[in-house]
Amino acid sequence: MTTAAPILEVKGLAKRFAARAGEAQSPLILADLSFQVADQEFLTMVGPSGAGKSTLLNIIAQVDSASDGEIYFRGDLIESTDAAALNPGWNCQIGYVTQDDNLLPWRTLIDNVTLPLKLQGRYDDEAAARVEALLRATNLTGFERYYPHELSGGMRKRASLIRTLAYDPPIILMDEPFGAVDAQTRAQLQQDLLRLWNYGRKTIIFVTHDIGEAIALGDRVLVLSRSPAKVIAQHHVDIARPRDLGNLYKLDGFGDMFEAVRQQIQ
Amino acid sequence: MPASREGAIPSVRSPVASQPPRRRRARARPVPPWRAYVDRFVVLVAVIALWQACSAYFGTIWFSNPWLVLVRFIEELRDGELFFNTTYTLKAAFYGALLGGVPAMLLPFVLRRRPLTGAILDPYLAAGYGVPKLALAPLFILWFGIDLEPKIALVASIVFFLVFFSTMSGVNAVNAQYVSVMRVCGAKERDIARHVVWPGAIPYAFAGFRIAAPYAIGAAVVGELISSNRGLGFMINSGATDFDTTLVFVALATLTFLVVAINLLVARAERWLLRWRPPQQGLTSRVISA
Repeated sequence: MTTAAPILEVKGLAKRFAARAGEAQSPLILADLSFQVADQEFLTMVGPSGAGKSTLLNIIAQVDSASDGEIYFRGDLIESTDAAALNPGWNCQIGYVTQDDNLLPWRTLIDNVTLPLKLQGRYDDEAAARVEALLRATNLTGFERYYPHELSGGMRKRASLIRTLAYDPPIILMDEPFGAVDAQTRAQLQQDLLRLWNYGRKTIIFVTHDIGEAIALGDRVLVLSRSPAKVIAQHHVDIARPRDLGNLYKLDGFGDMFEAVRQQIQ
Repeated sequence: MPASREGAIPSVRSPVASQPPRRRRARARPVPPWRAYVDRFVVLVAVIALWQACSAYFGTIWFSNPWLVLVRFIEELRDGELFFNTTYTLKAAFYGALLGGVPAMLLPFVLRRRPLTGAILDPYLAAGYGVPKLALAPLFILWFGIDLEPKIALVASIVFFLVFFSTMSGVNAVNAQYVSVMRVCGAKERDIARHVVWPGAIPYAFAGFRIAAPYAIGAAVVGELISSNRGLGFMINSGATDFDTTLVFVALATLTFLVVAINLLVARAERWLLRWRPPQQGLTSRVISA
């Protein structure tokens, strides 16, 4: 499944935040972190809380800068320490679904979802039809005119998800997007995500601290060490797709992999 | 949990323990919705009675009574005098609010993009805020004459600073995550200003305008008190010089109505513009919520 050429390659990434007063150097958050993602691969990364997972995604999305290392997109260098300025989202090629839904509270659901397309000047009939289909697929039809505060947490998560899917970037970063919802909603959201991903396969880098989620969703699971984070192990998940998340935990091999990852994280 | 539990830490005796079980709060009779209106009316009657009492004690020359004021109010309204003077004052307040308020709402957006300019201007803006503007009135009259212009200048100088600092704090309070996420989605600086910073700053600008509204009216009146031959301030002045306290009270009542009406309008506009917000108390006007 991962035979395709890497769409994104991260090489020797390091990050250190600016030193505080009275501190010679602040500790490293990321150290010599390298990995590749194949086109259309669903890569999950699991690591302990505070390992620097969000920092890593911020750097890939170019919301934050790296202290060392390079990032290649389809073989082209897109980020290095001598890059003059950051280019968030790398010309809309890298989408980012953050931990908080970050929907603009003053825009209705539909206006939130279509805003990126409008900003990119790509909102036409075809795009509208696509948004329509995404709304239907996530059971949001009928709530288009609602403001975020009028929607449930799960609905806001789905809206935030399809806001990025709607403009169709080739790579999508996800930072524990289902972190702050209850277990049932979470299971539903995971199933929704897998279904959407099956429609049109994107490259996804999904970061989580939940081992079960990492295995259930991913083609490949990377295990990150405690801060400073680096990749310490990887597991190929050979569970056939489409996956039934309800049954997954009973499948052979799931428990073993779960245990193996758990051991590595400690 | 028993109140007299034996433990290592001696606890204060629970007040509930020794008393008969308290009646559940839910059983208390709910306050009927008309209650506030009735009580407000009672307060109104009490205030008018107090006014009447003051008038009786000091004499109507010094302290006009409610009835005289009401009669005079209708009289002034009929012959158009009140309307004429009110319009004049309103005009000064409105143009002044526009002249001061619009740049005050735009400047923070310019300064957001130019932090150095902001840093340079900061102490001067703070100093400008500190200047007692009413004390500038004679200067404005000297410069602009005695017609509408000096009053507009006075109002503008007050409204500007109130709206500016309020809007600026709104611009500074912009959610950095929204900005990052929108940048990733392809937003340029202009889009950020328009779709993220501006909508977020509107409640703050409104708060500034709501605070500024009574000041705007007040400044227009003070301008007229100092030198004018029309306007509600002029009415107050001429009433006071003629020992005509009735006229003074008529003008004061009109001013109060004006400010309340403006507050009502601003609150209404705010509610419509900010309909995206979850219902909450706080920034939303609670002065006029009925």
